Amino acid sequence: MDFSTLFLIIIGSIFINNFVIHRFLGLCPYIGVSKNMDSAFGMGMAVIFVMTMASTITWLIYTFFLNKATSIFGLDLTFLRTIAFILSIAVLVQFVEMVIKKAAPELYKALGIYLPLITTNCAVLGVSILNINSFFKIDGTPVSASFIKSIIQGASAGVGFTLVLVLMAGIRERLEYSKVPKSMKGMPISFIIAGCMALAFLGFSGMKF
Amino acid sequence: MKDFIRPALVLLVICLISGAILAFIYQQTAPLIAENKLKAEEAARILVMPDAEFFKPVSDSSEVLYYEGYNADSTLVGYIFSCVQYGYSSDVKTIVGLTPELMINAITVVSQAETPGLGANCTREDFTAQFTGKNPDNIYVDKDGGDIQSLTGATITTRAVTNAIRETFQKLRDRL
Amino acid sequence: MKAIQEFTKGIIKENPVFVMALGLCPTLAVSTSVQNAIGMGAAATFVLLCSNIFISLIKNFIPSKVRIPCFILVIASFVTIVDMAMEAYVPPLHKSLGIFIPLIVVNCIILGRAEAFASKNGVFRSMLDGLGMGLGFMLAIIIIASIREILGVGTILDIRILPASYKPMIVAILPPGAFITIGLLMGLLNIFQNKKKSKA
Repeated sequence: MDFSTLFLIIIGSIFINNFVIHRFLGLCPYIGVSKNMDSAFGMGMAVIFVMTMASTITWLIYTFFLNKATSIFGLDLTFLRTIAFILSIAVLVQFVEMVIKKAAPELYKALGIYLPLITTNCAVLGVSILNINSFFKIDGTPVSASFIKSIIQGASAGVGFTLVLVLMAGIRERLEYSKVPKSMKGMPISFIIAGCMALAFLGFSGMKF
Repeated sequence: MKDFIRPALVLLVICLISGAILAFIYQQTAPLIAENKLKAEEAARILVMPDAEFFKPVSDSSEVLYYEGYNADSTLVGYIFSCVQYGYSSDVKTIVGLTPELMINAITVVSQAETPGLGANCTREDFTAQFTGKNPDNIYVDKDGGDIQSLTGATITTRAVTNAIRETFQKLRDRL
Repeated sequence: MKAIQEFTKGIIKENPVFVMALGLCPTLAVSTSVQNAIGMGAAATFVLLCSNIFISLIKNFIPSKVRIPCFILVIASFVTIVDMAMEAYVPPLHKSLGIFIPLIVVNCIILGRAEAFASKNGVFRSMLDGLGMGLGFMLAIIIIASIREILGVGTILDIRILPASYKPMIVAILPPGAFITIGLLMGLLNIFQNKKKSKA
């Protein structure tokens, strides 16, 4: 097992190609949920879990049912990828919702409508598709340890999302006490802050190991 | 139970109908897509070796190593190989055309997702033109002591293109 | 609401990007060039139109419990159709839009309109609603893309707008530029809204 490759995937997904600030995936909750740190952190944890599970499930579905080279049917069903992935993510989020409702009702109440909205979080479907693009060769054969790499990329992407979400929440909490011009209050200033964060994270690009 | 059957049935019907429609459209578009890919590869080969009329692939057991270009009267006009290396933020894939004397005839960057305005300029003519006439065995970026001028603010991308060409050439040299 | 208003509301008053803050991911990601903006806008409008019409047609057959999965299925099917068609007929555009074509399926605008409008209204109005929202979306991306492309490269649709001696502000086509541009545009919109409110 090549640990340096795994390390690269982790650092890459969290800092260099951060899913929110660099790849533009997961923006709606980023702007919507980051108002205070507790709900941001709770949302982040839920998203990490969903992204990891989604990476696992979608990889399995793709490898054994859709991809011609490895599927048990031997048929090329890659065109069903979008449908199969988004449906499995919807089912997964439904399941997670049920579990959180039973196990942590306060978190359930705090997240409110944003929990089922994880289904439409671009980052979840995005990382599932990205795993296929990164860890399968053009002819359909998976690269070595493609399953582990996909799971790690999914988890790291979630961690990157949570990192940026919590940072944003922290800044916005402080922003409550600053003099923001009236027309910039709310979303405009959040985007400007996101821009500054993106600028900062740009410094991670081009990092090589 | 009945409460559950109707929704499940509706979902199943929609699944089947959409699956069938998509399979049909897939069958219509898949040949076009494959043809586009081949056309793009062929166009890249013609770009780096305009004198060639047809190309013959030379492969080992699993993959194509390089192409030989021949003109209308079947004389060898040159060789074409592809090389790839990770640049700043993506794999940079280059197609290289060599003269029969194994000097670079022309190159073209076919695939990259580098920084727009900086590394992405590696696809431009005024960057790739400088490779023509150089010895692929000995090209280095100016910052590494060679004579390939790096793109403004994009040494890493330049290095990816240059080193990919040099390293792949050195690997293939014995076979050519 | 008059029929024509179903169409125009999506363009300005209830613009999905600037007013409702939906569909932000593709808007910012794809606005690096006006060409990409038009391509994405067209693809999303097509999916939105088709899914609105289709869902409006079958709305009486869908049990309420499974309506969201049904909507997702319908939308995903149209997205896959668009994906395959683009790969076959416009491969360079397909390559530049990349992962954001399949991501049209999670574009909040489309699912949102299906849930809020198409499942409760007739086919003709749903069609107008879809067309209006889609055009509003495309307009929003084009505006942002124009600003970013002019500042970052100096061209629009490969037509040189600023003189060649202009040193491009590359940050405009990088991620920070996207965020700052939309932030400033939204702030501008708020200034106009507040002026309108204080006049009324």
